Amino acid sequence: MDTVQHRFTDLDVVVDHLHNLFDQWTANGFFPSLLEPEMIHRVRLAVHEWIANLVQHGDFQDRVPEIRINVQPNGQSIYCVIEDNSDGFDLNMNLQIREAMIERLPDRGMGLLMLRACTKNLTYRRTKAGFFRLSFTVSADQEPWLQIPF
Amino acid sequence: MNFTVEPCSQETSIIRIGKALDFRNAAEFKEMFQEQVRTGMRNFILDFSETGILDSTGLGSIFSLYRQVSPLEGQVVFAAVSRPVQVVVQLTRTYKVFRQFPTVEAAREALL
Repeated sequence: MDTVQHRFTDLDVVVDHLHNLFDQWTANGFFPSLLEPEMIHRVRLAVHEWIANLVQHGDFQDRVPEIRINVQPNGQSIYCVIEDNSDGFDLNMNLQIREAMIERLPDRGMGLLMLRACTKNLTYRRTKAGFFRLSFTVSADQEPWLQIPF
Repeated sequence: MNFTVEPCSQETSIIRIGKALDFRNAAEFKEMFQEQVRTGMRNFILDFSETGILDSTGLGSIFSLYRQVSPLEGQVVFAAVSRPVQVVVQLTRTYKVFRQFPTVEAAREALL
């Protein structure tokens, strides 16, 4: 199983670098050709939403931000781990609140719900090293759906 | 990350979204379409042919545009939807809100 890990420290450019990385992986054949392109786009979207949340809301205090992304294609699924040195937050509580408060055609507040809808086995915890670790799987057998009130 | 606006009638504009509509430029997108609405535009064709990134904030800004023009009997339609954008459209079922056209020209013919 191939594993790729990357480390980012500049929040101003992390999103551009992330998408450049996905472009490179796609061009280099890192993702197995049997995977549907839509599934790879779902992985990209899920990672983007998490990084966007970190850039906009992550509290790194006076630390140099550090974000590590690890992506592992595995048969018909792709496993992702994203670690960061922010102060973290209560993801489950946040998801519950956003789900309860989602408005008709909302302006904001869909990012984490979108991430959850795209993924399976979503976990978020603090590591012994003091990082916060998000992990999830995107699988070919999913038909993801985020219910938005229209 | 600039958007290009091309008026095609007194009430209809094509907005070429470009590479991304996301949390980094959604505010710019809103300012742009609010100015368009102020000048009398009601119908918007969003051209996604070059778009590699549409995230939740970008989609939220499109909802905002829709909320603004709906009471004016305006329309927002999607044209030349790229694969990454189609993934977001499918995930959120927003094809129920925004009509999609294979090309900008097809959208323009439908709206004019």
